[in-house]
Amino acid sequence: MTEPAIAVSGLSKTYGATRALDGVTLDVRPGEIAGLIGTNGAGKSTLIKVLSGATRPSAGTLTLGGRRFAPGSPLDAQAAGVQTVHQNIDDGVVFGTTVAENLTLDSIARSGGWFTTRRSIVTRARSIAEAARLSLPLDAPVETLPASARQQIVLARALSRQARLLILDEPTSTLSTREADALAVKVREAAASGVAVLYVSHRLAEIESLCDRVIVLRDGRVSRTFTAPLTRAAIVGAMLGEFAAPATALATASATATEAATPGDRGAVVLTATGIRIAPGREAFDLEVREGEVLGVTGLVGAGKTELLEQLGGARPLVSGELRLDGAPYRPGDPHAAIAAGVAFAAEERAAQAIVPGWSVRAHVSLPMLRAHSRGGLLHRRSEAAAARRVTDRFGVRGSGTEAPIETLSGGNQQKVVVGRWLEAAPRVLLLDEPFRGVDVGARADIGRVVREAAGMAVVVASSDPQEIVELADRVLVLHDGTPTGELAVAEATAERLAALMSGTGTSATMPAAEAPTGGAA
Amino acid sequence: MTAAGQRTADVDGGARPTGARGAKAASLAYRYGLVVVLVAMLVIFAVLRPAFGTFANALIVLQSVAVVGVVALGVTVSMTTGGFDLSAGACVGAVVMVTALAMVRFNLTGATAIVAGLVTGLLVAGVNALLTVVARVPDLVATLGTMFLFQGLALILTSGQSVSAGMTVDGTPAPGRYTEGFAWLGGGRIGPVPVPVVIFALLAVAVYVLLNHTRWGRALYAIGGNAEAARLAGIRVARYRALAYVVSGLCAAVAGIMLSARLGRGDVGAGDPYLLQSVAAALIGFAVLGANRPNALGTVVGALFIGVMINGMTMLNAPYYAQTFVQGALLVGALVVSYTLTPGRGERSLR
Repeated sequence: MTEPAIAVSGLSKTYGATRALDGVTLDVRPGEIAGLIGTNGAGKSTLIKVLSGATRPSAGTLTLGGRRFAPGSPLDAQAAGVQTVHQNIDDGVVFGTTVAENLTLDSIARSGGWFTTRRSIVTRARSIAEAARLSLPLDAPVETLPASARQQIVLARALSRQARLLILDEPTSTLSTREADALAVKVREAAASGVAVLYVSHRLAEIESLCDRVIVLRDGRVSRTFTAPLTRAAIVGAMLGEFAAPATALATASATATEAATPGDRGAVVLTATGIRIAPGREAFDLEVREGEVLGVTGLVGAGKTELLEQLGGARPLVSGELRLDGAPYRPGDPHAAIAAGVAFAAEERAAQAIVPGWSVRAHVSLPMLRAHSRGGLLHRRSEAAAARRVTDRFGVRGSGTEAPIETLSGGNQQKVVVGRWLEAAPRVLLLDEPFRGVDVGARADIGRVVREAAGMAVVVASSDPQEIVELADRVLVLHDGTPTGELAVAEATAERLAALMSGTGTSATMPAAEAPTGGAA
Repeated sequence: MTAAGQRTADVDGGARPTGARGAKAASLAYRYGLVVVLVAMLVIFAVLRPAFGTFANALIVLQSVAVVGVVALGVTVSMTTGGFDLSAGACVGAVVMVTALAMVRFNLTGATAIVAGLVTGLLVAGVNALLTVVARVPDLVATLGTMFLFQGLALILTSGQSVSAGMTVDGTPAPGRYTEGFAWLGGGRIGPVPVPVVIFALLAVAVYVLLNHTRWGRALYAIGGNAEAARLAGIRVARYRALAYVVSGLCAAVAGIMLSARLGRGDVGAGDPYLLQSVAAALIGFAVLGANRPNALGTVVGALFIGVMINGMTMLNAPYYAQTFVQGALLVGALVVSYTLTPGRGERSLR
């Protein structure tokens, strides 16, 4: 057995009280393509940051080519032979310059002298392009090239440095399937030349076809390691981990257990979707949600959960099909129209999509309903404050009052505010996209309890964590790669079954059986 | 951002030490620094030149800042959504020319001239809104373009000449002149108070109420703070961004009418100095009472600041050509207060 190109031993990284990495031990051998996979928050990004020198570990050792490796900066890591191609391709190219200039960016930046001549750049670029078997016009401006070509430039440049370990972080997230196949060829070539490759992706199909070995991270630890031939369902199972059986989870959710057990006597259908699609070209499907019901939507990252919820909430144009709300046609052109119709949507990214920096809890609560808080054209502060207090009381928000800037609250309490404010609108449909992201267990329980208790509406909650879904939902819709792969009553949603459906390996035969008890169509 | 990254920021947020003495001093300086400097300046000028501290001189200072102040209120509104109306000065200039032409060249009534001026303001706003909201040109360059357009348009309308009573048009004298009613807007008084000061005060209160006490103001600030969050909360972002330019255009038009009335003629380039001074007033306003965002009260203080300084320096016989430099120093000082002493600046850089 050859000596590992990179060996990681007992690696930990803590941020304050949070353990992003907790004793990770792994290695990658020269010429090997190792897949790294895990759900959001599993520690992939932190591991990449440590390996690429962007952050220092709290504990543990790295060994690169048999020598101790402790990079102080990304440049250190590059010099030692760790080359990282980051997810955002356009961070790696300079717009307004040519392919040749981008390929030779390193030597331009290092500045061997005061002047760089066009000829020296082209000569050097040609040798880099040849080594990487890159067939792009060297004088083409990068912005005229497709994303896949830009990525090949970044990859070729990375390989032109002495590469021992090549880290590819979600390299195909913006590529088409064909472009991804072309990338796979390049990655195999790199590995064949003796480079160790750490390949991070959410796309199971790629991992399956490309990787010799798959390392699954979960909660900052190596959960399992699989060697080829790989089975997707087993990988997803390891990503998700064990979770409480649905029955027990619901039993602990007190009063809701009995209600969930008898899906027949739920309220009237509130939201109906027919012939909708996650994205153009994907399979069309139908959906319905009843009053008092919580529909869970789960799937891996990129499966299309956000796309579905955004279409229902008017934040993204409907791809196809039609929607009905309480029987009447519902076609929101923007979130304003959706809210006016009675559909509330709490988006996934709290900081980017909900928080207005510096604003108080009160102002966040009243923002979606400013008209309702106005008297004769003027905002009525007491009415706003009363609404804010209702939200903080109901959800048990801990903080220094409704006038405090929302940033002074903990993440969980912020989340209670930006989710809870939508209940003030008394919507017919409440759409929650990853409502528990970065939220502590206590806040998660508080939010879940209020959402379950809220009467008179239908709830759709999306999460890539099945544990959250089985705690909250009556019924689960599973998406894989933009297509529904199954719909289960929560009592039937076992870990194995969800893993199979989420990885796209569940047989279609399970679907009708799954549909029968709920009467939903998939 | 990954969940792990987000958690990091949260944890750091919780662990940040608060209440350190240095931070408290900085926070005090940040909130009240500019007001203290303004008061100190008033006292110093009044001691050095007794004529400064009189009611009559206060009215002179106020009158001198009225036009700048009104333009600045509009620029302030344009800034709330994260926009920036660079065309405000050109709009003032165009309105001066349009009102002068209306009365002098076309012999129309003062009321018609006012309407023509306001329509000009709306036209500028419309072009700005089209460029920024529909064509999605960045605000700064879009309004820069509008600035050139309307500066040029004012020149074309008047063949590059000033418009005054008795001017010759095609060999014959122009038929009209400034009406008395119109001129009253620039030179009249209500009691002891000049009309422009009254207009400035009324507009200041109106903009203050709009921004701080109406849902429209709240929506404007929400867009400036986080446009995507505002959109998802049901705010129709495009409409509000257009509204901000409409308010800005109307304010500039009102300022143009006041200036035209005071000058009694349509001077080429009359509006040019007002852009930079009004932008300076609005930016100085960020640093007033710790607002750290465009706000009506701050803008009024900013405009007064500039007016007091110029008036006081004139009384101290400081050369007029030093004024621009002192205004620049004032603006830079206020910007440093705004950007450096801001409490929780570290927080912002984490994001």
